[in-house]
Amino acid sequence: MPSSRLLGHLAEHAVNRSRSVALVCGDREVTYGELSGLAERYAAELTALGVTPDRPVCVPAHKSIDTIALLIACFSAGTSALVPSSELGPSALRTICEQARCSHVLTAGANGRPKWTVVDGAAPEGFEPVDPSRTKVMFTTSGSTGTPKIVPVPESAFDNFAEWATKQFALTADDVSLSYAPFNFDLSLLDVWVILRLGGRVVLVEPAASADGGRLRRLVADHGVTFVQGVPLLYRLLTEDETATFRTRTVVFTGEALPHRLLPRLVRAFPEARLYNVFGCTETNDSFIHEVDPATAGARIPIGRPVDGVEAVLIGDDGAVIEGPGTGELLVRTPFQTSGYVQSALNDKVFRPAPDGVGGPFYRTGDMATRSADGTFVLEGRRDFQVKVRGIRTNVLEVEAVLASHPEVEAAAVVAVPDDAAGHRLHAEVERKPGSGLTSLKLRGHGARTLPRHAIPSTIRIGDAPLPRTSTGKPDRKLIKETVMKG
Amino acid sequence: MDLETQIRDYIVSEFLSGEDVPDLTDDFDLIENGVVDSLGLVRLISHISTTYAIPVDDLPLEPSNFRDIERICALIRQSPVAASG
Repeated sequence: MPSSRLLGHLAEHAVNRSRSVALVCGDREVTYGELSGLAERYAAELTALGVTPDRPVCVPAHKSIDTIALLIACFSAGTSALVPSSELGPSALRTICEQARCSHVLTAGANGRPKWTVVDGAAPEGFEPVDPSRTKVMFTTSGSTGTPKIVPVPESAFDNFAEWATKQFALTADDVSLSYAPFNFDLSLLDVWVILRLGGRVVLVEPAASADGGRLRRLVADHGVTFVQGVPLLYRLLTEDETATFRTRTVVFTGEALPHRLLPRLVRAFPEARLYNVFGCTETNDSFIHEVDPATAGARIPIGRPVDGVEAVLIGDDGAVIEGPGTGELLVRTPFQTSGYVQSALNDKVFRPAPDGVGGPFYRTGDMATRSADGTFVLEGRRDFQVKVRGIRTNVLEVEAVLASHPEVEAAAVVAVPDDAAGHRLHAEVERKPGSGLTSLKLRGHGARTLPRHAIPSTIRIGDAPLPRTSTGKPDRKLIKETVMKG
Repeated sequence: MDLETQIRDYIVSEFLSGEDVPDLTDDFDLIENGVVDSLGLVRLISHISTTYAIPVDDLPLEPSNFRDIERICALIRQSPVAASG
């Protein structure tokens, strides 16, 4: 999207590949010629609305062909687009629109007509404007306390990434990708925008199909999908029918560790595919890659080595750089990384100057990793209390704090329980104040006002009994977790 | 048992670990409050389709149609199959 060079490629495809299908969604297909026409209609509407490059616009990531056309229209107009989750609550949406200085919130309607609202709040202090001539897209992280962090992706970062990904996966105009992740995830840079840049075909998975194995399998088979990228949940769904096989050429799993038992199912379902484990963050995009050889794979699949142009360092508990084999916090610097959060005060915490003082900053992934003697890396898990719930990084302590802030809550403990479908699901154990009649539904309502939906615990058990405590007086999360897992 | 009670009982047993409370009114927003997430929605739709013999293809899959008990019941009542049966 994300770059002027991409627009140049799309303009060429509109002429040379005008009748090739660019996007498929449900029963609808649009060719590169049609996509260009649709984007032009949106561009005219944007001009009429008074959208200018001076201020970004916000385009919530509704999964549709029209959203893509609308985004292309924004980029053509020279305007940056903030692309948050389409499920973001209204108050969080307003907050990030103000922080990014957006002029409008735009939603693609039918026939090239956007629906829009004007953002009238002013940007709070400490939020830097992005330069629209250098940055066309801003993603958001999934801040679990409700206000996501805004991550600008510079044009050069996207162009570097597109070149790497094209070479790494030998992608061409003949490729057909499955777009499973929502457009607000950095995964869409590869499975949507790199593919469109090449003139390939992108098959969009609508939200209603995203947990429906049968529909997903039909999409991959019927459209001859050659490139699949997604979280383990996607592969669990694609492989749950033991008779289904696909001719996909490249399978990339990312976002969280692939459960080992999925590997034989992947091999069976994708007999012709090369399998890759990829590690990356919104802030840095893809940073590590490991081609998996199912014959030799152990229980833990490594993230492998830094991709071309990426540097990685491990930092020990003492803050010193670990040379050679060892375990520490993983820091990376990639040619694809953000120029820094829009809220500049956050940057000092997560971006560190290069240990040797040469070149740009490194990003603290917050993940612990081990480097083995042969130079490959294995992830050891989050440095703190962060887990992934449905692929979204979530801090259980932050969720706990929100629940505990209810005036009738005495104490709350939140634990992450491994879940086959969601990666993790959150369970909350809550002790209410004496005499309170607080119910789990009331507490949900309280949580829903500040937490994004994935961070609202799947189950909340509320009662008058004190929470189990450890000898040091902290909630006994281990015991709570074990009790929940026993059912 | 009326339709509202049937749907309510299903939600209580399937999504609220059996905890039935007066707060679960017919207009309580199940999606906004994280009771039913995207995976839960698929289960809910499949339950409605099976229990009330409504082909999935006839159900409008927009999450907003399953926002609360009231809307879920309205949807079932509007379905041609359920209405005739």
